[in-house]
Amino acid sequence: MKEKTKTALIDIVHEENYTDSLIDMVSYSKDASEHKHRPDAAVWATTTEQISAILKLANREKLPVTARGAGTSLAGLTVPQKGGLILDLCRMNKIIKISIEDRLAVVQPGVVYATLEQTLAPHGFFFPPDPASGVVSTLGGNVACNAGGIKGAKYGTTKDYVLALEVVLADGRVLHTGSRCMKSVSGYDLTKLFVGSEGTLGVITEITLKINPKPPLSRTTMATFDDLEDAGRAVSQIMYSGILPSALEIVDQQTLIGINQNTDLNLPEVEAILVAETDGHTSEETDFQLAKIIDIFKKNNASTVRQADSEEEAEALWTARKSAYAVMSRINNNLFVEDLSVPMSKVAEMLKSISDIATKYDLKIPTVGHAGDGNLHPTISFDGTNPDEVKRVEEASAALFKRVIELGGTLTGEHGIGLAKAGFMCMEHDEVTMNVMRAIKKLFDPNNILNPGKMALEV
Amino acid sequence: MEARYGFEKKFRDQVLRCSSCGFCRAVCPVFGATLRPSYNARGKMLVLKEVMDGTIELNDELIETLFQCTICASCEKNCPSGVNVPEIIRQVRKDMVHIGSCHPAFRGMNEVLQKHTNIYAEEEPEDFERERNKKAECVYFIGCVGSYREDEATLSILALLDRLKVDYTLIDEVCCSGVLEDMGYPINKGLAQRNIDLILATGAQTVITGCPYCSRTFNNKSQYAELKAKRIRVLHITQFLKDFEFGVKTDKLVTYHDPCDLGRHCEIYEEPREIIRKIAPNFVEMPHSRVDALCCGAGGGVRGAYPKNSIAMARRRLEEVEEVGAEVMLTECNSCLHNFSNAKLRKQNFKIYNITQFINELMEEVE
Repeated sequence: MKEKTKTALIDIVHEENYTDSLIDMVSYSKDASEHKHRPDAAVWATTTEQISAILKLANREKLPVTARGAGTSLAGLTVPQKGGLILDLCRMNKIIKISIEDRLAVVQPGVVYATLEQTLAPHGFFFPPDPASGVVSTLGGNVACNAGGIKGAKYGTTKDYVLALEVVLADGRVLHTGSRCMKSVSGYDLTKLFVGSEGTLGVITEITLKINPKPPLSRTTMATFDDLEDAGRAVSQIMYSGILPSALEIVDQQTLIGINQNTDLNLPEVEAILVAETDGHTSEETDFQLAKIIDIFKKNNASTVRQADSEEEAEALWTARKSAYAVMSRINNNLFVEDLSVPMSKVAEMLKSISDIATKYDLKIPTVGHAGDGNLHPTISFDGTNPDEVKRVEEASAALFKRVIELGGTLTGEHGIGLAKAGFMCMEHDEVTMNVMRAIKKLFDPNNILNPGKMALEV
Repeated sequence: MEARYGFEKKFRDQVLRCSSCGFCRAVCPVFGATLRPSYNARGKMLVLKEVMDGTIELNDELIETLFQCTICASCEKNCPSGVNVPEIIRQVRKDMVHIGSCHPAFRGMNEVLQKHTNIYAEEEPEDFERERNKKAECVYFIGCVGSYREDEATLSILALLDRLKVDYTLIDEVCCSGVLEDMGYPINKGLAQRNIDLILATGAQTVITGCPYCSRTFNNKSQYAELKAKRIRVLHITQFLKDFEFGVKTDKLVTYHDPCDLGRHCEIYEEPREIIRKIAPNFVEMPHSRVDALCCGAGGGVRGAYPKNSIAMARRRLEEVEEVGAEVMLTECNSCLHNFSNAKLRKQNFKIYNITQFINELMEEVE
């Protein structure tokens, strides 16, 4: 960092909000992915005005700027690949307004997902996209990465809830998109352009979110399947049965074996487990939906079906699904959590392909996923110090991406492209699409200062 | 590459196992008070990974993060990968002390305990108006904070033991010196032996401690193994009192703060609540309780080395007392009590006591 630039940054944010200390540079060099690169400096900005001044300066100096929330990205979205400045937004963490009458919440980007949840709960409301990292992930990060969660099938993902944004553009101008109305078709939908843009088009400084009334009741059921195809068929039938489960999750055999080898949970090592949850306002409503789902499980040869009669029992049924990440992250030193999405009718086929690819490359690839929306998380736990294993992991990842595209799927359902999948963007998107994306990037950020190196936007 | 430091030899796999998920941000008290990611467990593990890779050196530049940890174990209890951060931090501090990179406050504490008998270097112990070193069934071991800073709380606990007709004695105790292990230094064997000899001389079969850290040290550290060998049981005061009846009650809305050393480190969550249930039917838990309880900010040497952040951590906890509307916050650790008392704002009109102190006050009122 040039001395002059450093002085100018300190002028904007004050000394105590600027750092180039080694400990901070190391801690900002990584997120939850395997990617790593140190920035040259970091600032804790707290106002839109500061961020505008910072970007004006960075644009003039051609200084890369990577905005960062909680740094929970599994795809390297917040790793400052070209060095430069980390713009840490976690201290911009005020909930500006909750309006139950208008069914919206206005928040700063550093508000943690769980904090908004806690604030909405007494009103009987919630913000449905619930990423697994919601206890720490920030809403700014959720919006910039278009985060999803296990309620996707019924409630959609972050993009379905963003009504309006305040965004600081690369040249420091402040853009206001959308409106606080539930319906608005006034002009281009600039809001959606920024949702999932991974910090490459602007820095989000204020978010207006639609919120939902929270159904007070839920029921949970779990079924085991000796044959993966039966489970896949059950998923498809549930999704066109007219029932919309609030969660429908799949856990495959490799995951169950992995959990059993590393815990004393003694789960049945069947080809697949499905866990479904229904929600509603009356028990008749939740029970009716649950009965339909159980009926479909049975018709598709489920070997066992259990239903929970209490919250504790429901927790028990969720054990396999919810302990998967913890177990996988203990098995070895390195972890790739993939994020493929396929049309729902292809879930069983994709799971079969994952299993074949694992065999071919001599790897274990346990998979869990949001079966209800076709979003699967094959997880490769490996030893990064073993070059041969690393090579096989990389080849297997490429094979997974190829297969998912063949099945009409997409590289990522909710984690984003970042660095991890940048190399595969052109596999999914044709030349015209890539050219349009690159042109948009150029329009908003002609000097390529915003989160450079991501999403294959540079030719 | 050959391991250069003890932490690599003992915990290499553990450090590598940190998947950088960042979930520790939700629970780390230092991060909570500062919102600076290099202070939370992920930041610390990333630094240690680079030390193991040889890309950075273990030196004074790293003191700021590696010595700024209250060793509250919240991160460990919430870590999906099961990384034992407190043990890694203790070992790293030893390694840093070994190479001469140590926070001056930590070094100072060790020097104090080489020359003096308590962490405050006080020369004149308070006698609490009671005979010492007599024959009794129990020894009541006060601890440094109770002896020299929270003496009112200690007078209350002793009065309570008297009211309950417990046959106990005080001893000419010295610092258990367990805290030195958090600071990167070994337990002072001389001090340990003095305590052991004084305890044995009383003929007591039970040692009751007011300080949960002393209780942990006596029960778990090899320097105090002689106590176990002589079948002397060491109990924290909440374990000792759980079956007593007190015959008093309060209508006030009461909450309880789990000290890290009693809760997460010893898994003693029920005993204090059992006691409170008897005297305060109007009880409310704070949003973070038991294994998720927020740290008071005093532990791991942080109160001495980083007082501003230590107080900020205590304030976060006290905000939760306000949030649940409690009139009284109870705890049973003089260190927590001391830090909370220092952090409490005048506008916060709830009261903070040790459980024992509060019971004693209720008993005094009815007399």
